[in-house]
Amino acid sequence: MKRGKIDKTDLRKLLAAASEKARCAGPVADRVGVKLEELTADSVLALDYDNFRLSPKLWFFPRSEVIASGSNGTLEATPLPEEATVLFGLRPCDAASLELLDKIFLDEAYLDPYYKARRENTTIITLACNDPDPACFCTSVGGGPGASSGADVVAFDLGSELLFEAVTEKGEAFLAEHDGLLTAPSNADDTAKEKLIADAEAKLQPVTIDGVADKLAGLFDAPVWETIGERCVGCGTCTYLCPTCHCFGLYDEEADGNVKRIRAQDACMFPLFTLEASGHNPRSTQGARARQRVMHKFSYTVSNVGETFCVGCGRCVSHCPVNIDIREILEEVGA
Amino acid sequence: MSRQLETKLREAVASLFERGEIDLVIGHEAGSLPLRSRPVFVRDAADIERLVWGPNCTNNLAVYLPRLFAHPKNLREEYAPPTVGIIAKGCDARSVLGLVKEHQLPREKVVIIGMPCTGMIDPKKVEAALDGARIIGAREEAGSLTVETPGGEKTLGLAEMLADGCLECAHPTIDEADVAIEGEARSPADERYQRVAAFEQMSGEERWAYFSDEISRCIRCYACRQVCPNCYCVTCFADQTKPRWIGAADELPDLMAFHIGRILHQAGRCVECDACVRACPMDIDLRVFTQKMPKDVEALYGYVAGMSADGVPALLTFTENDDEGFISEP
Repeated sequence: MKRGKIDKTDLRKLLAAASEKARCAGPVADRVGVKLEELTADSVLALDYDNFRLSPKLWFFPRSEVIASGSNGTLEATPLPEEATVLFGLRPCDAASLELLDKIFLDEAYLDPYYKARRENTTIITLACNDPDPACFCTSVGGGPGASSGADVVAFDLGSELLFEAVTEKGEAFLAEHDGLLTAPSNADDTAKEKLIADAEAKLQPVTIDGVADKLAGLFDAPVWETIGERCVGCGTCTYLCPTCHCFGLYDEEADGNVKRIRAQDACMFPLFTLEASGHNPRSTQGARARQRVMHKFSYTVSNVGETFCVGCGRCVSHCPVNIDIREILEEVGA
Repeated sequence: MSRQLETKLREAVASLFERGEIDLVIGHEAGSLPLRSRPVFVRDAADIERLVWGPNCTNNLAVYLPRLFAHPKNLREEYAPPTVGIIAKGCDARSVLGLVKEHQLPREKVVIIGMPCTGMIDPKKVEAALDGARIIGAREEAGSLTVETPGGEKTLGLAEMLADGCLECAHPTIDEADVAIEGEARSPADERYQRVAAFEQMSGEERWAYFSDEISRCIRCYACRQVCPNCYCVTCFADQTKPRWIGAADELPDLMAFHIGRILHQAGRCVECDACVRACPMDIDLRVFTQKMPKDVEALYGYVAGMSADGVPALLTFTENDDEGFISEP
């Protein structure tokens, strides 16, 4: 596969060239941290960041979208998005999450045309991690700081330069198109790259998840869930920041005779998520809801699509207001 | 100093268990990340060792109380509610008293273990002081905070790392604790509501623009609501479906409707614990909006929330001389 280097000062040039054919998004300084934002001529790229606060899944599966609208009793589906998009700077964990979401939204039985269109229209360039956050645990769930799953191109940060490596044909085409801006990498660059990734891996604290799926299958009624539920305050931080959580609700809203059918994210942490019209709630305790989130990621998806639905990005670990740490839960149930 | 208070706190809890005066205690234990603690429920004297105290014990534990006393109406007669000890800073204790005043808890079922609060660390200030260096560990001693980073240790002044809410706190400790852990609390702040005052100085357009910009970051995770002891409604207006008060989409008016509802429901109730501020995963400036409530209620009606379990909440009284200026000239 094609490879090439670019001086970081020329990265803006490369993305500007890409912007001529597609909308481009990249890491831009936000009031707090860095966010993945559509680039304009004035955007200043920020390459020194851990990860985006919000998962890039939202570029494919927005927090809410109108999927149909109309009036007088008829609804018309929203046209499929056609815009070509280049996303630069996803971390490898988040790119891997898209491969997992594909198993849900691209399943032929329940194909999601909006998600599919966006996936097909988008080229993903990841930026490998040199310095993972203490809450990260990607290597424990099959990923890695330089992993290529979900990426079309992987970029390695060598200091003053970026080393690009194409992973897919889409990535190959992208690098070929911008070949004029790239130089050939040397053996020393490869050595540097391998050292960076090995150093990054060494900084990660491993979490043992071997056998967790099997153990969880027998722990549905275990007391551990109510212990977690007692501490859990029932907000949606973990689910809404999670790159693999994908549950949503459908709502019809009417104003002045115009109806919109809206698909909006939902979270299994909320009682309303499972509240039935009768008033009965099959997940009546916060413990039952906390169990659902762990089971869904580490047991049900393993049975249903053969994958653990966690990429170890650490967002839920870092941002839970009561410090519920999924790594500890996995250690506890796996022990 | 934290160590001594921690020892006293554990002794106090041990003696409450020994005397059979509590069934459980809600406190703080060491967290899994640097600069973090987390809530812990101790039901057994053997677990008392888990209790910690220090400037990372940020969570307002009163949020857990209403659910311990809430139970289906048909069980009310046979339900025996527990007696709960709660480790409380000044703000947390005021939340407890506010909940008693609002009939969410029987006062006699809660044992307030009052801590002499010296203020809580704002991890974002520590991060800023380290210029982006990773925080691997941290320890606090004698007014300083020593942070371990990959490049070595760095010692910071604890006073400079305290949360803004703590720097402006008027009630670091309260008189109505059932068990008062002895120690020197922070002095009540003289300068209060500085950022709210600055916000008030802005023009209406500027305030609207700032509010719009901040609220547009909201992802509707409702963490601000869920960590707030005052948000105990069985069904929040934001969750009601018949009728729906708030649309499902991410439209700014929907986000604003939720936040305006949440904030106004804090009038005469907010104890300025900043739990909502800390919980927001999007770092929305909730402090400046929310603290407008206690500031106005104190200035206009001379009422401060949570100072006692008795009396009538500000929102439940009306006199014909009440100042209505907040409506016409906010």
